[in-house]
Amino acid sequence: MPAAETEAGETVVSVRGLSKVFKDFWGRSKARAVDDVDFDVRRGEVFGLLGPNGSGKSTTVKLLLGLLNPTKGHIEVFGRPPRHVQTKSRIGYLPEESYLYRYLNAKETLDFFGNLFHLPRIDRARRSEQLLEMVGLNQTLTRTVGEFSKGMQRRIGLAQALINDPDLVILDEPTSGLDPIGCREVKDLIVALARRGKTVILSSHLLADVEDVCDRVVIYYGGKVQAIGTLKELLTTPDAIRITTPVLSRATMERVLEVIRKDVAVDKVRIDNPTQNLESYFLDVVQKARQAAAETSGAVSGARIAEYLRGDGAGETGSEKLLERLTLPQPGQTAAPAPSVAAPAVDEKKLEDLTKSSGPDAPLAGSVPVTPEAAKDLSKADEKLSSLLGGGRPESGA
Amino acid sequence: MQGLLAIAWLTWKAALRFRLFLVIAVLLLGAVIGLPLLIKDDGTARGFTQILLTYTLSAITALLGLSTLWLSCGTLARDIEECQIQVVAVKPVGRWQIWLGKWLGIVSLNAVLLAIAGGSVYGLLLWRARQLPAQEQKTLAKEVLIARGSIKPPDFQREIEAETDRVLEERRQKSNSGPVNWREVRLEIREQIKARFQLVPPSSMRQWRIQLGVLKSLLRDQPLQLRIKFNAADKSPSGTFVGLWQIGVPQKTAFWRSDPMSLAPDTFHEFEIPRNLFDQDGVLTISFANDNNTVLLFPLGSGIEVLYREGGFGLNFARGLGILFCWMSLLAAIGLTAASFLSFPVAAFFSLGLLTVALSSGTLSTVVSEGTVAGSNPESGVAGHSVLDVVAVPIFRGILAVVRLVEDFSPIDSLSSGRSISWGELGAAFSQIVLLLGGSVGLIGMAILSRRELATAQGTQ
Repeated sequence: MPAAETEAGETVVSVRGLSKVFKDFWGRSKARAVDDVDFDVRRGEVFGLLGPNGSGKSTTVKLLLGLLNPTKGHIEVFGRPPRHVQTKSRIGYLPEESYLYRYLNAKETLDFFGNLFHLPRIDRARRSEQLLEMVGLNQTLTRTVGEFSKGMQRRIGLAQALINDPDLVILDEPTSGLDPIGCREVKDLIVALARRGKTVILSSHLLADVEDVCDRVVIYYGGKVQAIGTLKELLTTPDAIRITTPVLSRATMERVLEVIRKDVAVDKVRIDNPTQNLESYFLDVVQKARQAAAETSGAVSGARIAEYLRGDGAGETGSEKLLERLTLPQPGQTAAPAPSVAAPAVDEKKLEDLTKSSGPDAPLAGSVPVTPEAAKDLSKADEKLSSLLGGGRPESGA
Repeated sequence: MQGLLAIAWLTWKAALRFRLFLVIAVLLLGAVIGLPLLIKDDGTARGFTQILLTYTLSAITALLGLSTLWLSCGTLARDIEECQIQVVAVKPVGRWQIWLGKWLGIVSLNAVLLAIAGGSVYGLLLWRARQLPAQEQKTLAKEVLIARGSIKPPDFQREIEAETDRVLEERRQKSNSGPVNWREVRLEIREQIKARFQLVPPSSMRQWRIQLGVLKSLLRDQPLQLRIKFNAADKSPSGTFVGLWQIGVPQKTAFWRSDPMSLAPDTFHEFEIPRNLFDQDGVLTISFANDNNTVLLFPLGSGIEVLYREGGFGLNFARGLGILFCWMSLLAAIGLTAASFLSFPVAAFFSLGLLTVALSSGTLSTVVSEGTVAGSNPESGVAGHSVLDVVAVPIFRGILAVVRLVEDFSPIDSLSSGRSISWGELGAAFSQIVLLLGGSVGLIGMAILSRRELATAQGTQ
């Protein structure tokens, strides 16, 4: 459930004047990692902590979890100090690295953390099974975590963060080390959690991750908040508009441009084909490869989100939910931005190319024949991704 | 409780998966089986006991003690260094529960290892004992494979102190000279007075009266053992000294008199005395005649002791292992507390340092009794002086008081001399070592861990 639909914006996390200075043995300041930071996170919100490496994101996360003590300032999580046991029982945390016990296998890991949440044996077993299926590790139950690849360790790390069905999920670089499918699944999961009214704090320097799922973001640099707000507030360019239509005939295009040129200078108008982003394209390729039933020895993907985490919208896929969130107008909700395509200036030659093949049966925008240059790039990407998957080049349309 | 047990279980899992349990178990069994094979006993009950009980139990204690310190430092410090604690500490368990869970895991591991090693010693002892000559087997049954209670004569501490103060006061009144080191004078007077209670001059006799108290009726018709030890002022050409023992008072009680005995100094001797030699009030009178040209000294506390059968060896052995277990529990607490604020190698070094200090209690005791770290001149007997005394002596006194809470119990000595380790003694060991010392050390560790920032380390795994 997006932030706008939550119960009167109940504050889950409140941070006021937060500063953290790391000191050396003699008490001398070494680094000011977080400097006078204020923000609130409301229930049901997906809140992003953005910033370059060393900007203070992870330090903020660790302060929120009580793993570090603030030098100055005040933190409240669910109205209590972060280290309060009742507060901790409502939090799920995935650290930046999967700091798990290497000698435990996947099932033992989840059972151990389930015990720390005082879950009864039956619940632990049920949730472990569902989570392992969700993160695609149900085929590797007896292998110890130390034998896992980095991606698999991230997956089991994510599973342990969700064993208690937390109200607040704090994810530090959750997609680090994951393949694109894993990244998408994590993002789908975040969306699913938000739909159930869970609050998610996501720390990342991967802009695409944040852009895909976050309602609001705070941008750090040098330990200070540089910007904070919804993605819409931060990303919308108020002095420009974009119109997307099916491919138009040259005559229609000329007429439209003529109208526009009356109000706007020629060099201010840009026309291009929208393109999908690489992640969408990759997932499409993989989807087709998966249909060819290729086997893998590692983590499997595409598993369903654990039943107890799905809540009411259990039947829908994550992609559908994402689509729904991005397309349906919701008051106060940040609209996900369109695929990031630079808007080039009007190029008469290009315009001619674009309209050359148009006609009454012109294809939809998504399947417009691409320019030779773009097709070449796409073809290269296609080949690269196909070879990564170990299969042949997908069939038409890929 | 569920979280606590989960953390304890985790310690077990680590010990099993890293084969630590297996390695320690093999080492312990190697010590138990290997030592008697490497060191041959002299065929006597005493030599047999020395190797099969004293050496093996000492080796078990040393091995288990070191592995406990190592494991306890490692289990917490490595969790912090490798950042796993960051995932555990954000779960709804208190930091004190993390500490206590790890301690529980280590002590339960120790309990199992100690049971395996102790069981092996016990089995081996009984099996090998059957191969001893019949006479030695009898001695073994009477002096080792038994739990014997002990009664000692009074130690006269109060009388000694009172007399010392009286003599010192007299000296003070008589003294009109310049500055006098009265502390040293008092020490000297005390030693002289104490000697009066311990010495048996040449060609003379000393008598000890032992009050059996409530044991009087229990010990009726029961043979007793007399265990004695003395020091000699001079050496004897034969290395032994002749003495005569008499138990009981002629014309008042039944009495027994020994033949002249040739006894070596500085070692314990045991001999059986007939039953029912104490009087109506339960007072057993022991007399010794010194038939030598030198003074013999029977130390207060350990010079004279009457032993009697109190129970069987099996249960006594188990209680002895119980005290060793208490020691291990304390070591686990020390290791975990060190790891609560230090990195693994430093914590291990710190814990071993503490252990070394504890094992140096003889030196500490000397410093405290002499009142100086500078030592005393062996020729003149005059104590030295150091500017550090003001600080060092009180600190050493404090350390010694703490160490003695542990040193009060010596299960290996008791077991190898067939002396009873009572339930009361085991209870006292548990209270003093585990609850008082271990509890205090543990509280410090938990408090430090609770205040510590756990996310300052970057993962090293």
